[in-house]
Amino acid sequence: MIWFTWRQFRTRAAIAVVALAACGVALLITGRTLAQMYAGVASCQSDCGAALSQFGEQFRRDDLFLVYGLSSLLMYLVPALVGAFWGAPLIAHELETGTHRLAWNQTVTRSRWLASKLAVVGGTAAALTGVLGWAVSTWARHIDTAVFDRIEAPNFGARGIVPIGYAVFAFTLGVTCGMLIRRTVPAMAITLAGYAAVVLAMPLWLRAHLIPALHETRPLDLENLSSMITNTGEGGGTMELTGPGMPHAWNVSNLTITPAGDEFHGPPDPVACGEDAAANACDAWLTSLNLREDIIYHPASHFWALQAAETGILLGLAALLVMFSFWWVRRRLT
Amino acid sequence: MTRPALRAEGLTKRYGRRVALSGCTLAVPTARVTGLVGPNGAGKTTLLQMAVGMLPPTAGTIEVLGARPASGAAQLAKVGFVAQDTPVYSGLSVADHLRFGAHTNPRWDHGLAQDRIAQLGLDPAQKAGKLSGGQRAQLALTLALAKRPDLLVLDEPVASLDPMARREFLKSLMAHTAEHGTSVILSSHLVSDLERVCDYLIVLVDSQVRVAGDVDELMGSHHRLTGARRDRAGLPGGVDVIEESHTDRQSTFIVRSTVPIDDPSLDAGGLSLEDLVLAYMSKPGRETTR
Repeated sequence: MIWFTWRQFRTRAAIAVVALAACGVALLITGRTLAQMYAGVASCQSDCGAALSQFGEQFRRDDLFLVYGLSSLLMYLVPALVGAFWGAPLIAHELETGTHRLAWNQTVTRSRWLASKLAVVGGTAAALTGVLGWAVSTWARHIDTAVFDRIEAPNFGARGIVPIGYAVFAFTLGVTCGMLIRRTVPAMAITLAGYAAVVLAMPLWLRAHLIPALHETRPLDLENLSSMITNTGEGGGTMELTGPGMPHAWNVSNLTITPAGDEFHGPPDPVACGEDAAANACDAWLTSLNLREDIIYHPASHFWALQAAETGILLGLAALLVMFSFWWVRRRLT
Repeated sequence: MTRPALRAEGLTKRYGRRVALSGCTLAVPTARVTGLVGPNGAGKTTLLQMAVGMLPPTAGTIEVLGARPASGAAQLAKVGFVAQDTPVYSGLSVADHLRFGAHTNPRWDHGLAQDRIAQLGLDPAQKAGKLSGGQRAQLALTLALAKRPDLLVLDEPVASLDPMARREFLKSLMAHTAEHGTSVILSSHLVSDLERVCDYLIVLVDSQVRVAGDVDELMGSHHRLTGARRDRAGLPGGVDVIEESHTDRQSTFIVRSTVPIDDPSLDAGGLSLEDLVLAYMSKPGRETTR
């Protein structure tokens, strides 16, 4: 049955390998340019801050910035393609064309039939996604430390081992949808919708809680505010300050609080921050408030623990879908 | 009958409120070619799909070669099935289909499969999707035969074939079963399809067996009696009226009788298998309209 599954699947696998090789070549070529750009930082012995910021500026102006964005996007796209084009048709296409009635009447139990399909196609999907994820992570490693942070939302899901988790999850979701809906195209659509929902829900609501985040309260650095919005109006108006947050970390929440511990939303002092006030009066008034920055964050050191936890959850969901599929194929599918 | 190839008792299949088969009880003998004949909607396909384990029964029991259908690899190896629409993998070649059979069946007879493909004149490199309906049915049959099953189940195998392909298909099936002694069940709504091949017949109408028996025995015991107009009471004793029709002067009866009919006022004639089956198929309708 393994042989036959491979025979059915090999053309699609070959296309995937060719696409992967093309991506690899593109990353190799651009990777050399990137290494030249980074040479200043790599050779720097002490006080590398200047070299780093020069690399950052140069990178942002270069086409490599686009490659960086596209490669991350690709890592989100691959699980979607796996789910829609490998997962959804796996069973649905056989049900649509009636060939399951041929397959189920060979000397192969339905469980073995499903197991070999899942193993061959799912295994290939996991392996290819893993290789691509490794290539992209390696290509982007200098940028991920010097310019952006890989622990922050859009990059996190495109680095390390998490893409394997998404690919396996999307694949099993596709298989299950195809089995239940029995038609390839609607199953593909539902699979894509389900995958998109999980990809969005993860950073928005789930990821921050996978392992305990760190909590830090420190004096608000008024010199380095990341934003300040003042509204003067009826009832004294409001004032929203956001501190700089933790560097090289994922700032899950960043509140500005008063020494008493309440959230600070103004109102601005009508005299010190009024139109006729002296230049630094408002700043002096803010300093006198002794505001504090209250941060919940995941430092860069949490990267692998978060990766392991998120991959574990995705693989757990995939395992549930697989168990359901086996039950359905044995008991309910006709 | 020794252990039957298939035995069903009170077999029922419901899809929600729709009843596909209701309380069907029958037995199919081994080492025979059994024709399962009935009108569309009689439950033939449902019965056969339950026999190969494609469908689970809602109620009742079904036993094939002494075991629950598709209960494991050992049972799957014993039963071959060709579904109504003879599905094949359209993207794979004929040779790939044979390799598929070889990889998935421990009893696979590769010589038999290759000989059949050669005899049929199929190109092994041909994609199955490019085959004609008849060739596709032959390929599906080849897979089922080379599996070397003890029981071969064919659901309306010739329904979609033209008369030439139909004859070829049945001829090659006959040749194989004569050589290997395989038990066969094949269904059709047309008895003429099965007339030449089956030696045992089951007529199924509304999930119920109307008549079942050896074809020669059925042919020998059924007669068409024609004579001056009379009631069925005017027939000799020991005959069972299946169908009667009357004109002003004449009565015609189709009867089952185990004893020879020697009433000089009746003209006894033979009956084609098709007439016999049709008589049994139309029997209940006449009774309910009276």
